[in-house]
Amino acid sequence: MANEHDKMLPIANVGRIMKQILPPTAKISKQAKETMQECASEFISFVTGEASERCRKENRKTVNGDDICWALASLGFDDCSNAVVKYLNKFREFEQERAAMNQINEDEDEAAAGPSNSSKSKYHSK
Amino acid sequence: MRQAKTAYSGFLSGGGIPRQHDPHLLPLARIKKIMKKSSVDVKMISREAPLVFSKACELFIEELTKRSWNMTIQGKRRTVHKEDVAHAVATTDVFDFLIDLAHPNTSNHHVDLNEDIEKKQ
Repeated sequence: MANEHDKMLPIANVGRIMKQILPPTAKISKQAKETMQECASEFISFVTGEASERCRKENRKTVNGDDICWALASLGFDDCSNAVVKYLNKFREFEQERAAMNQINEDEDEAAAGPSNSSKSKYHSK
Repeated sequence: MRQAKTAYSGFLSGGGIPRQHDPHLLPLARIKKIMKKSSVDVKMISREAPLVFSKACELFIEELTKRSWNMTIQGKRRTVHKEDVAHAVATTDVFDFLIDLAHPNTSNHHVDLNEDIEKKQ
């Protein structure tokens, strides 16, 4: 039983997304949520299969975000693919900014440490 | 690990993502698990991939739910049933891969018929 649930997205999360898009007075049967849960999980498998096939053909071992975006478009999920490409680009921008901030912080720390740095390197050379 | 979580939450709260599209709606670890189980060919998955899927799945669920709701309204009802989802799948080309999963003529349908018969008795 636990194994089966591990293969799918949590029904509570799925139900929440469904509820958000429907009018407030709409109701959703438990079986409809379960069906949606299965469909969403199958969606992941289906798209991943397409993406990993592309990786295999290109002799790449890692399925990345671009592969998912490509697979979505390849399988006909055009709107989804477009929205997700934008999302991925935003995430990458954010990661770059974060990396830049980390670098600045590291530089500041090193500058603040000052002379102790040389003693550190002596220690390491041992 | 902790650093990664902080990174994601910064992206989510400050990255201009509207509240209704909060990707934390779907757990990334579970998405990764499903991806790995999808095929023996899937060996390594980048950190971005489950994040991309969290957004894609949200959009997928929204689309299928909207179409299911159209079926519900056509039936003059306010509760989305499994059959509504099945009909939405059957009438949308891009959801062909779900035909076997969400078929209108499922065992569930038989249960409903039995309930109808019991009510009549």
